[in-house]
This record gives sequence, structure tokens and C-alpha cells, in this order.
Amino acid sequence: MKDAVLQLRNVTKTIGRRTIVSDLSFDIPAGEVFGFLGPNGAGKTTTIRMIVGLISMTKGEVLVKGVSVRKQFEQAMTHIGAIVENPEMYKFLTGYQNLVHYARRHSGVTKQRINDVVKLLGLQNRIHEKVKRYSLGMRQRLGVAQAILHKPSVLILDEPTNGLDPAGIRELRDYLRKLTKEEGIAVVVSSHLLSEMELMCDRVAIIQGGKLIDVRSLQEAKNSKQTKIIVEVDDSQSAYQLLSEAFNGQGVSLSGGMIEVMGDRSFIPDMTRLLVKAGLEVYGIHASQRSLEDQFLEMTGGEMVV
Amino acid sequence: MSSLGNLIRNENMKIYRRPRTWLMVGFLILALGLMSGLMKWDESRGSGGDWQTNLTQQNVHFQKQLQDNKNLDTDDRKFFSDRIKINEYYLENGIDPTKLSLWDFVNNSAMLIMLITILTVIVAADMIAAEFTWGTIKLLLVGPASRTKILLGKYVSTMGFALLLLAISFAAAFGAGAVLQGIDGLSLPHLTVGADGIVHEGSMIVDSLQKYGYAVISLFMYVTFAFMISAAFRSSSMAIAFSLLFMLIGNVLTGIFSSYAWVKYLLFANVDLTQYLPGHMPVRPEMTLGFSIMMLAIYYAVFQLISWFLFTRRDVAA
Ligand SMILES: Nc1ncnc2c1ncn2[C@@H]1O[C@H](COP(=O)(O)OP(=O)(O)OP(=O)(O)O)[C@@H](O)[C@H]1O
Ligand SMILES: [Mg+2]
Repeated sequence: MKDAVLQLRNVTKTIGRRTIVSDLSFDIPAGEVFGFLGPNGAGKTTTIRMIVGLISMTKGEVLVKGVSVRKQFEQAMTHIGAIVENPEMYKFLTGYQNLVHYARRHSGVTKQRINDVVKLLGLQNRIHEKVKRYSLGMRQRLGVAQAILHKPSVLILDEPTNGLDPAGIRELRDYLRKLTKEEGIAVVVSSHLLSEMELMCDRVAIIQGGKLIDVRSLQEAKNSKQTKIIVEVDDSQSAYQLLSEAFNGQGVSLSGGMIEVMGDRSFIPDMTRLLVKAGLEVYGIHASQRSLEDQFLEMTGGEMVV
Repeated sequence: MSSLGNLIRNENMKIYRRPRTWLMVGFLILALGLMSGLMKWDESRGSGGDWQTNLTQQNVHFQKQLQDNKNLDTDDRKFFSDRIKINEYYLENGIDPTKLSLWDFVNNSAMLIMLITILTVIVAADMIAAEFTWGTIKLLLVGPASRTKILLGKYVSTMGFALLLLAISFAAAFGAGAVLQGIDGLSLPHLTVGADGIVHEGSMIVDSLQKYGYAVISLFMYVTFAFMISAAFRSSSMAIAFSLLFMLIGNVLTGIFSSYAWVKYLLFANVDLTQYLPGHMPVRPEMTLGFSIMMLAIYYAVFQLISWFLFTRRDVAA
């Protein structure tokens, strides 16, 4: 990818004799929401810490707009906004003072910009209160506000929906979409909530045990040829035989009085005609989208904690 | 990229927006007020007799010591003869040295620099460790500022806090002196006997600043040490406790072991440079001013290097 704003090259972290993250490489282009998916302990947070320079890499390189985080840290960080795990704020300062604190580190963040960001995240009513009186969700919003103040090219959010209410999650999702589409920002989100990733991301990287298992586009997954078609009829035995013959026994199975056919959605009209012609009573035929969750569990062997 | 100036402003904001900081300032002012009040009360109890008779008697006593006491070395002899000359100067010019002047308050406030040191050590020990305790270290480090720059900003603003406390102490003592004794003592001279054996009139403010200067050296060293501890420990209570303990126990241990030669290599044996002033004894007889300054420089460099190394090189996985 030629316009990748964030590039990971063989990023590896070894602590003691344990390799926590091994040889992670991927590119993220501008304008993409990239999901980082993996079971607990997979190494998501560790990878994010390496991207933002909180911990050193044992091997490899992270480039932000072509600038190496390791070699030119300050310059690389002007392009990054991030929250790592829970965004802790200074509790004795007000929300606004916290934002001023983060704004001062960057050149060119005006008062106007701070106020705009505060409005964008819906914090304007409480922004002059001390952070110790904020709820978890409000602190999370303040964390996001802090991360986007300086209009970064890459936004990195580790479990950003942690503590947000459904409305907050939805707002965040819409806002991330807007940022990527309008300002061409690249967003990296990590989460273990798969359903959320499906709604938010363009692509997801699945990692397990510190290794990259797969990077896949969610558009692709949705258009996948492998749809499970479930057929419900009165006489499932004869229907099973009928369909098996039609498909040469490929991908047709009978389970619990239902027939399952693996294949394309376009098979459905033909199948219906076939069954009706044979005089069977058809109660229902529907295509079940195999969710990312199924795929994810399948890929990682359903074993959640490593 | 962040400018150092902005980083210092951030650190200052974090120091002065904490209520604790103003409690400390209040405590310092209270201590100063208490000390000034005690001095005034002590003076008002009055010493028997008038000051001229007292000074004359004191001189007679010193004179006798010089003549009769054969054990006096040259330093002691100079001390007594200088005192006699200064007392004579007081008598000739009609200056009552026992009468409190504004400068006595300022000079005594130099003793409170120990308190200022303790307060600044608490702030310094908290400077880095607290960011870990609060969990804010992550967001602090994820920005366009190198860790070295952040550390420097923190160090500068810690020293700024020490400077503020020193200024407050000097000003408050000056104010207390002016209120309790009036400002007519302002022009009083500071008397010393030069190498030529003649009494010289010096400036009181220079003398007071000198007293502050000596005390500030130990403040500087202990605060830099506490700063290093703050970079080492990642919990603020541990860092504060350890720094204070080190300061207090170190001084006691140095006293106990002063008969051993290795004591001279300890920080505590070297922080008080007034030990080289006339009329004082260094911790070990073989120690010189040059030696102490060199030891302090070495300790300072080592403290700074360790702080820097611990802060910039370690992984932050809090
Ligand atoms: N400082 C450390 N020393 C040793 N092992 C560590 C350290 N930090 C993390 N690990 C280990 O590295 C692995 C990856 O941890 P990491 O926090 O990156 O997981 P994660 O993918 O973010 O998980 P979660 O979904 O629970 O947040 C875990 O097995 C963890 O125990
Ligand atoms: Mg994590």
C-alpha cells in the first residue's frame, strides 16, 4: 500500500524468555478504521504500547507517515493521538485544565479548537468540573478528546468503548467514521467485543498468542460465498435426499430436523422451486450470515484466554 | 514538538493546582510566624543590666581567657580577639547588638530552610512516582516530547518550587522583622574583622543571602536525590517515605560513624559547607572545602544520571 500512514515491520517484544508479540507486520492506509482483535492476553495492548513508544521493541520498526517511532520519536508522535487502556486524567484538575495540559504539548492547538472538541464529545456542560467527579464514560470521552486535539493522522484507541453507554458507543462509532471519511485519519481500535468491531471497522487483524493469524476485510467477509442456508420443511428426510442429489452431496447436512446447505445466497430461489415441485411443505428458508464471531472463534480454536 | 517552556508550565500547573501545595506554603508561613513570635518574646524577657556593662564585662572575660588559657590554638585566639574588637566597635558607635533587628529575623529564618528542604523533597519525590500512581504517565509520555525533555521540565519546576518557598521565607521573615522591630534596623552594618585586623562594616543583606546560600546547597542535593528516588520507585508514598528516611537517618549515621575515615565520602558529611568557616570544625580533620565541593559535584552528577537513565530507558507498562 503506497499511502500507508501507519506501518508495522516485524514488530516483536520479548520479555525474559517469553515472546509476547512476535513478528507483527501490517500497513494501515489513511481513511481506514482498522480493528485489532484477539482474545484476552493476545498482545493487543502490548503492540499498542510499542506503537506509541511506551515500551521498547525487541525487534522491528513502526513508521508513522514514514517517520520511525524509535529513531525520531518526537516527530513521529506529532502525528499520533492515543489512549492506552483506561485514559487516566489528573483528578485534581478540571476536564478543561486537563485538555489545556495536553494541548500545550502540541504547537497550534487554539482555545477555539479545544472548545470545538469539547462540544464534539458532548462534554460542554461539565468541562469545568474537577475530573474526580466524572463518571467512567465521561473520562473516556475526555480521553478521546485529548487524543484528537491536535488533529493527528493516526488515532490509536485501546478498548475505547470500555465504560461507554450504548448511545456513547454509537456516537463514537459515527464520529470515527466521520474522522476517517472527512479528514482522512487512520484509526486503530482494539477490542474484544467482536460485534462492535463488525460495525466499526473496515479491516480487522486477528492476533492470538502474539502472532498475526489473519488480516481480513469485513466487506469481504460479508460478501463471502460461504453462507449457511437453513431449510425448514415438513419431511426433512426426503428434502435432504432431494437436495443432496441436486448438490452432489456437497455441503448439505441434516441436523435436528433442519437441512443446512453451505453455499451462495443465489442458490435459494432454485432450491425453493425444487422443494415446492416435489410437493414438500416449506416452512422457511433463510440464509444465516456467518458472523465474524464464528469465524473468529473458529480461527482461534474457540479458546479465549491464552 | 513540545517546547520546554510549555512542559514547565504543565508541571507548574500540576504543582500549584494541588491543594497540598498551598497547605505546605501555609505551614511554612505559620512556622515563620511562630519563630518570630518566640524571638520577640525571648527579647522582651530582657537580659539583666544594660548592654554596655554586659559588653564590657564580656570583653574582660575574653581578655582573661587570652592571657591565662594556654590550651588555645591560633584559631581560638583569633576568635576571641576578633570578638573583643567587634564589641569595642559596638560600644564606640552605640549599637546594641542584643536588641533584635529586622536582620535577626531574616538570619534565623535560614534555619527554616531545613523545613523548606523537607517540603520540597516531598514534592520532588512525588514528581514522577505520582504519575505512575495516578496512571497518567501513559498519556504524559505519549506526546511529541522526548522523555529527557519531560524529565527536565519536571526538574526545573521542582527547583522553581524550592525557589518560591525560599523567597516566601525570606520575604515573610523580613516582613515579620519589619512589623515587630520596625525598619530602622535596615541600615545596621554586618561587622567582620578582616585579615588586616581592622573591623569592617559589611552589608547585612549580603550576609543573610550567604546564610541562605549555604543552606540551599543541602536543599539542592537532597531534592535531586529525592527526584532520583521518584524515578526509581513507581509509587509516590514509597518515594516520599524513602527520601525522607534517607535524609534523617543519613545525618544521624554520619554523626555516629564520624570516627571512621570513610565517612568523608558520604553525601551527608559534605552537604554542610559552613563546617569550613572560621570557628567551625569539619566532620573529618583531613577534609577540605575543595574535597567537599568535588564530592558534591560527583554525587549530583550520579543522581542526575541515574534519574535520567531510569526515566528514559525503562518500559512503561503501568
Ligand atoms: N510487563 C510484562 N511482563 C511480562 N508479561 C507481560 C507484561 N505485560 C504483558 N505481559 C503478558 O503479555 C501478554 C499480552 O498482554 P496484553 O496486555 O498485550 O494483552 P491484550 O491483548 O491487551 O489483552 P486484553 O484483551 O486482556 O486487554 C499477556 O499474556 C500478559 O500476561
Ligand atoms: Mg489490553
